[in-house]
Amino acid sequence: MSDPKLPPPLPARPVDGPGSPRDVPPLPGTHPIDPATLPGAIRDELEAPDPVAIDTASAELRDGINRCPKCGSTDIRHKPGTDLLVCQYCRNEWHGERVEEVFGFGEGIDTLTGTVVASGARDIAADAAALMSFKCSGCGAEVTINTENAMTARCHWCRHVFGINEQVPNGAVPDAVLPFHIKKDDAVARIRQFVDKRRLFALKAFKDQFKPENVIGVYLPYMIVDARASAAVAGEGEIETRRYTRGTDNNKKTYYDADVYHVERQVDFTVDDLPLESSAERGNLDIQANTNNIINTILPFDTKNAVRWNASYLSGFSSEKRNRNIEHLRPRLEDQLLSIARAQVEGSARRYDRGVRWEHERLDVHGTRWVSMYLPVWLYSYHQPGKNGGLLHYIAVNGRTGETMGSVPVQQWKLLLAALTVGTILEGLAIAALVTMA
Amino acid sequence: MSDENGLWLLLAGPAGATALYWALYRYYRNTDKSHAFERETTIEATPVTGTDTKVGTVKGTQATRIRGDNLRDYRARVRRVESADTGTAQDDRRDAHD
Ligand SMILES: [Zn+2]
Ligand SMILES: [Zn+2]
Repeated sequence: MSDPKLPPPLPARPVDGPGSPRDVPPLPGTHPIDPATLPGAIRDELEAPDPVAIDTASAELRDGINRCPKCGSTDIRHKPGTDLLVCQYCRNEWHGERVEEVFGFGEGIDTLTGTVVASGARDIAADAAALMSFKCSGCGAEVTINTENAMTARCHWCRHVFGINEQVPNGAVPDAVLPFHIKKDDAVARIRQFVDKRRLFALKAFKDQFKPENVIGVYLPYMIVDARASAAVAGEGEIETRRYTRGTDNNKKTYYDADVYHVERQVDFTVDDLPLESSAERGNLDIQANTNNIINTILPFDTKNAVRWNASYLSGFSSEKRNRNIEHLRPRLEDQLLSIARAQVEGSARRYDRGVRWEHERLDVHGTRWVSMYLPVWLYSYHQPGKNGGLLHYIAVNGRTGETMGSVPVQQWKLLLAALTVGTILEGLAIAALVTMA
Repeated sequence: MSDENGLWLLLAGPAGATALYWALYRYYRNTDKSHAFERETTIEATPVTGTDTKVGTVKGTQATRIRGDNLRDYRARVRRVESADTGTAQDDRRDAHD
């Protein structure tokens, strides 16, 4: 009965049109339709509270690989909920060095010139192998780590844990890592709450198979960019000078007179820690083909707290590899800088009460600084079968702030039925009103 | 579409149904969400400067807004003008969407 292609889909929207990630996102907590006007069950769902934090320990974390600076033990873990590393042998705790201070990443944005690249953000060597081998110092066995999806591995024989801590020129090792703060149980609770608010019209198979415990912690690769730029825009704006109506009672029309201005604006600005997805797959925000915009939405992170790369933080988590270089990402950066500039000048054009049509824009990027960083994300995924391989839905939790966003597949016929029912009621009211008028 | 006999009221049903469909669809799928970098990034900007020159008037239009109003569509790109000092422009944007 749940034939997925039963109801015809509603008109498709363009990839970059309204309702896409190219659209300026709505303010948090806003709905396009006033919930008060909707039937009770739908209203309750919309008005249910948003996810809250529940702080409990995660069982995910395993042994680390560094040597304890105090006793030399290799049994080191990331202390959940903190940025600390802790020695399991002598309980020594220490904090990773914050890259912000070690490398001065927070300073001098207002004097940036040219392209400054941190070592971990250098171009990826095209022929570098993803597999790296180590000789275990514990037992002598060969241990292989696949840097496509992991940065640590455990020796099968002696349980010694390895991590890739040296920067190898294949782009696998970033400059910095931002450790998970949100623990697994907390992420599970947030995901459960997110879905509980979206059950009425959720795909039945999704609800049946829903197991938020299957969430996995993933370090995703980003480029964190500082930039100094100037931008200019030009166009036309209109100010209303007169408003009047013409016509008789039944055929009244409103007319406007307006003054037309040529408008130019310039602004110089700096941007601190703009995050850009540095894997081609994650950076593809085409909402027709994937739900990566969900992962994009849980940005930003408190990247100021990122610590110098240390694979110990990654034990027990999976990771994705960066495959985009700075030159690939530059167009996206410029696009975002232009959007920022346009947002900055908006306030200066308020007097144009009939709006402004910007026609030209110009961007001068004076300087940029690029740092490659792993950011922590809890991901729950659900594969919805369908044509072209179906669609992978994500529910994502920011591993630092707990911000949660998701894509829940809908049962189309149920949603259409509800919409048509409400539409029919409205139509009945409209007809009744017409009959009374006649 | 005539507003003569109030027949436009008959659009209430289809319009309401479509609006509700898309509102709920977006609530579940969140296709309209993305990182609001324009307001969630630390930005330091100098005061905006510019010029405003009156170039004409419009008389008796029925349009409530200027044609092509994009003041708030920050992400809608318009024609990129070559910059004088760095030479960064359109031709640099080869794989903006991959
Ligand atoms: Zn120790
Ligand atoms: Zn071993």
